[in-house]
Amino acid sequence: METLIEETKISALATSLSGSFSNKIPDHFKNTAERATGLMSGLEFPSTRDEYWKYTRTAQISKVDWKFSDEIFNAEIPAHISGPKIVFVNGHLNSELSDLNANANFEIGPFHESNLDVEKEFEPYEDFRTNPFLALNKAMPQNGYVLRVSAKSNIENTIAVVNIYTGDKVISQPKNVVVLEKGSSAKIKEYHIHTKNSGKTFANTHSSFVVGRNAQLGIDILQYGSDESFHLQNADFLLDRDSRVVQNTFTQEGNWTRNNTNVRIQGENVNANLNGFYIPSGTEHIDNHTIIDHEKSNSESNELYRGVLLDKSVGVFNGKVFVRQDAQKTNAFQSNGNVLISDTATMNSKPELEIYADDVKCSHGSTTGQLNDEAIYYLQTRGVPKKLARKMLISAFAEDVLKHLVSEDIRGEIEEKIDTKLAK
Amino acid sequence: MLEVKNLRAKIEGKEILKGLSMKVNPGEVHAIMGPNGSGKSTLASVLAGNEDFEVSEGTVSYKGENLLEMEPDVRSHKGVFLAFQYPVEIPGVSNINFLKAAINERREAHGQEPITAKEFLKRVKEKASLVELDNKLTNRSVNEGFSGGEKKRNEIFQMAMLDPTLCILDETDSGLDIDALKIVANGVNQLRSKDRSFIIVTHYQRLLDYIVPDFVHVLYDGKIVKTGGKELALELEEKGYDWIKEEQNPVEA
Ligand SMILES: Nc1ncnc2c1ncn2[C@@H]1O[C@H](COP(=O)(O)OP(=O)(O)O)[C@@H](O)[C@H]1O
Ligand SMILES: [Mg+2]
Repeated sequence: METLIEETKISALATSLSGSFSNKIPDHFKNTAERATGLMSGLEFPSTRDEYWKYTRTAQISKVDWKFSDEIFNAEIPAHISGPKIVFVNGHLNSELSDLNANANFEIGPFHESNLDVEKEFEPYEDFRTNPFLALNKAMPQNGYVLRVSAKSNIENTIAVVNIYTGDKVISQPKNVVVLEKGSSAKIKEYHIHTKNSGKTFANTHSSFVVGRNAQLGIDILQYGSDESFHLQNADFLLDRDSRVVQNTFTQEGNWTRNNTNVRIQGENVNANLNGFYIPSGTEHIDNHTIIDHEKSNSESNELYRGVLLDKSVGVFNGKVFVRQDAQKTNAFQSNGNVLISDTATMNSKPELEIYADDVKCSHGSTTGQLNDEAIYYLQTRGVPKKLARKMLISAFAEDVLKHLVSEDIRGEIEEKIDTKLAK
Repeated sequence: MLEVKNLRAKIEGKEILKGLSMKVNPGEVHAIMGPNGSGKSTLASVLAGNEDFEVSEGTVSYKGENLLEMEPDVRSHKGVFLAFQYPVEIPGVSNINFLKAAINERREAHGQEPITAKEFLKRVKEKASLVELDNKLTNRSVNEGFSGGEKKRNEIFQMAMLDPTLCILDETDSGLDIDALKIVANGVNQLRSKDRSFIIVTHYQRLLDYIVPDFVHVLYDGKIVKTGGKELALELEEKGYDWIKEEQNPVEA
């Protein structure tokens, strides 16, 4: 019995992982890593008794004997990802596949070579008890990208970041840091690809985004899991006044996906936008958790998450919006819409608003329903076959998210995924 | 063109059509009139292929084929068109894009090449002007935010675009003011030809002043109980439907 209990501890996993951990932790992060290691002892894998993990089990993750892998060369980058990019395989930089160079306006490189230290600013929000995987990431951070854009600089081209997770029973913990200085702007597209037929992979990522005054950040995230993947993507945003952020998350496929996005609005006149689209099939499980925290007045947040659920898939959405006492004249809008294509698909959707200011405009809505049969029939009477009619309706539904794309060039692969999933 | 024999249909277990028969030859215009709830829209739906209605008895032959066995899109490819009493709003699906897809599906079914962009645009322009449909509307989402009259004109526009041989108009006149009614009627009249037949469902005689029918049928309680020429419509206008009801349900002496 003793050992069984021991196995559910995150720290036990950390201990067993330490043997295979080969990444170098940058000096400025060593304290953080030590602190995270210390705080980890006593933390359990979350169970469905924990509100934050109510609909998403982690037991399957706790049962695998994970290890880090140094294997970085057998990775293939899908042909459609063209242009300059920075590539990581299993939490290591693959410089052969990378061809992205910094210039005078910005620095980009792997986490371990960077001395950009932003941890202190995020510490007040750190909550390892709710999300013990964050402690694991911080205790053993691997290489992700660090991007710093100089004040008033505008990076014209979208920066492509490719993460590949491959092998069997391989855990990866990329750590990313993005800092946009005053008045700068950048566009990013992140790929997360779990190799198919390679075995079980677990990505436990963490990104810290610091968006300065009057800076603009746009980021598209494409998640390609496999039949055996566990993908846990954590992102924390700190937004200074007059900044604008758009994050779009497209969960294209994957056995188990959980996204935690937390946005702290720390200044006035901020515009924060979180959007997501997911189309799980088979027994895929996709969970989007967001927190938008309005700390200051006169800012606006918009959330739009839409899902199409097929087969026996399960979707979860939980969006928490806090409007603090000081955050008068806040506008916060949240919407989660779902279409169940099969009788056996499930959606758990929970919007939560906590408002402590009195002069605010907030709305949230959650809908889960079927495709409009009447509309399908109408299109059919005009000569459109049922399958195509369904596709038209779903494309229209997805378009509400797609119209927020930061990089239009990824539209094709998202539409294609919708087509292939519906064609099955 | 169309031969309906002893058609019985129900919805949610309730029988609505109770042995309806009618025959439509090429080029003919048939008006179907009758009190509310008599089954006019049900007939239109069954002909268009609405799955909600279950046909329990009878046959419908269209150009010599069993219409009832075909999916609604196949019926459309073979020339059946239904202008809905209540056109459906479809947010996010562009009127013009879906029509292009519809035309190309039909062309594919007939072994033809897809329509060229130029040809398509020319047709849009031509057919939109037929019912004086604003260019902006042709580009918008299907029926979304259209007024009642615009929706009805959009139905006739789509009909003209798809070039059907059997046009079923379900209360296309309802909700139209007199000017819009004239526009719609004029559009329909221009589409009349010796190969194209019409079934015009209407509650009022008004539309038939402008679209002159060859036959007028009275549908009552799921059956056609009276058939005549265009003068029957005038008689109904004058006397209402009560005399039909009385004829059908004579008071026991
Ligand atoms: N979807 C439906 N469910 C249940 N009953 C229906 C439905 N559609 C029509 N009906 C019933 O069928 C009967 C005939 O309706 P309908 O064909 O619309 O008549 P009309 O077009 O002549 O006014 C009415 O009694 C109506 O209530
Ligand atoms: Mg009707």
